[in-house]
Amino acid sequence: MRLSHALVLALGGSLLSCGFPGRALSRNLAAPPTRSVANKIRDPRRADARLSVLWVGHATVLVQMDDLFVLTDPVFTHTLGQISPRLVEPGLDPANVPALAAVVVSHMHFDHLSFASLDMIEQKTPLVLVPPGVRANMPRYAFEIRELGRWASYEAHGLRVTAVPVQHVGGRYGIDEAFETRAFTGYVFEYHGLSVYFGGDTAYAPAAFRATRQRFPNLSLALLPICPNLPRGYMQRTHVAPAGALDAFALLGAQQLVPIHFDTFINSDDAPGACPAELRRQMQARGLGNDRVSILDFGQQRVLIAK
Amino acid sequence: MRTAHEFDSNPGLPIAFGLALFFAGSAAHAEEAPPPRRLSLLVAATEWGLAQLIPSPLLVTGASHVGGGLRWQVTPLLYSFGIAERPVRLFLVSPIARHSGSVELHLSPEWACCAPNAQQSWLARAGLRLYLPLLEHGEVLSWSVGSSYYRAAGTDGLAGDLGLYTFSGVLGLNVTVSPTLTRREVMSVLTLRYF
Repeated sequence: MRLSHALVLALGGSLLSCGFPGRALSRNLAAPPTRSVANKIRDPRRADARLSVLWVGHATVLVQMDDLFVLTDPVFTHTLGQISPRLVEPGLDPANVPALAAVVVSHMHFDHLSFASLDMIEQKTPLVLVPPGVRANMPRYAFEIRELGRWASYEAHGLRVTAVPVQHVGGRYGIDEAFETRAFTGYVFEYHGLSVYFGGDTAYAPAAFRATRQRFPNLSLALLPICPNLPRGYMQRTHVAPAGALDAFALLGAQQLVPIHFDTFINSDDAPGACPAELRRQMQARGLGNDRVSILDFGQQRVLIAK
Repeated sequence: MRTAHEFDSNPGLPIAFGLALFFAGSAAHAEEAPPPRRLSLLVAATEWGLAQLIPSPLLVTGASHVGGGLRWQVTPLLYSFGIAERPVRLFLVSPIARHSGSVELHLSPEWACCAPNAQQSWLARAGLRLYLPLLEHGEVLSWSVGSSYYRAAGTDGLAGDLGLYTFSGVLGLNVTVSPTLTRREVMSVLTLRYF
């Protein structure tokens, strides 16, 4: 019996210590202290903007469309799942998040659905939109939690949010990926003639991007992930690479792109800065300039369409 | 290689070609993303079943000895008062449903060994346990209090337990006290639980 125990322990230890999961764990354990963000914006409301974005970090983006705000995948915590430390602090303090029309959550992974972060903004939003299957995996909050299936829309006060297809996986804890087959999505927000695509987390999924373009042919902005990229064989099923993000941008036909989902947490073999650097190389090769693609720094806000 | 004449000589081919063009055209007008992957009950049940097989190591302490063992646990019924939807769960219980606040009926087979001069033995336990969140809806820290009825060879009785859990309940420490159970008066369990 003692021999079998030893074998089980050895197998478990081997799985944890080698391969990509082992490397990611090691890098997280050796992560540097969280870098602070200087001169963070205290009042993100821009009177001169029809459309502006403020990149908080990772997939958390504050989108202003005229007089209303939508926040994507809010994560303000210092770690993910108590293991993965934040490399750079949030670019916007949760206390300075303005009153929101809605929060959207793309899926249940720890870097996109943070229960503690939702606590921090609980009184700032009346509504959190989630994909199917997620509500039954969330604690109770003061706000309404509403599930949106593919192509379903929520409409209120002129804002329409539609769930659009992406290619990713559901679940939160690993094996529940097998149970939660529909628990991931992208979104399109429409308001006053503006339309913003939020890809959440997605692999390169041309059919999904084309189908979205057919329904939303005039996207003002696409928020697309560009990382994690490496190891590519492991990531390609669920994550788009920088080149793929530009391909997706082209397929979506959006006017502008703001890349997200990079350099905030360690969840890949990519060195910090590698994904935006690769994106810049790809932009140069395709003749795309900063007028079409805005690579924002943490806490940076950019007015994409002025009044 | 086939020639144009060969195509012309087959009257079915132009029709097939026309149909292909028609459907290709239709597809171009109604591009659709692939549907989400379908739930495979077999895969889901297998993965859940394997998760239930993960044992939690026991440290068994009695008046005059220390031993080891393993505990498994299954939850036939749980009522969660901390979750936003579907408070009643049968067998398949997500960690947040349990640790955000819940009451569960649990069944636990236990196997004790390794005490000096002691024989291996099995014990079956059924009980109720209350989970309450402490930090971040219980994902970071939660605690539990419970009571159970056990049956072992030649004996049965009641036990009480206290627990503390972290990492979404994957890791925890549970102490079970069975005052009348000879050789297993106190069992400290490093709980490893995944669904």
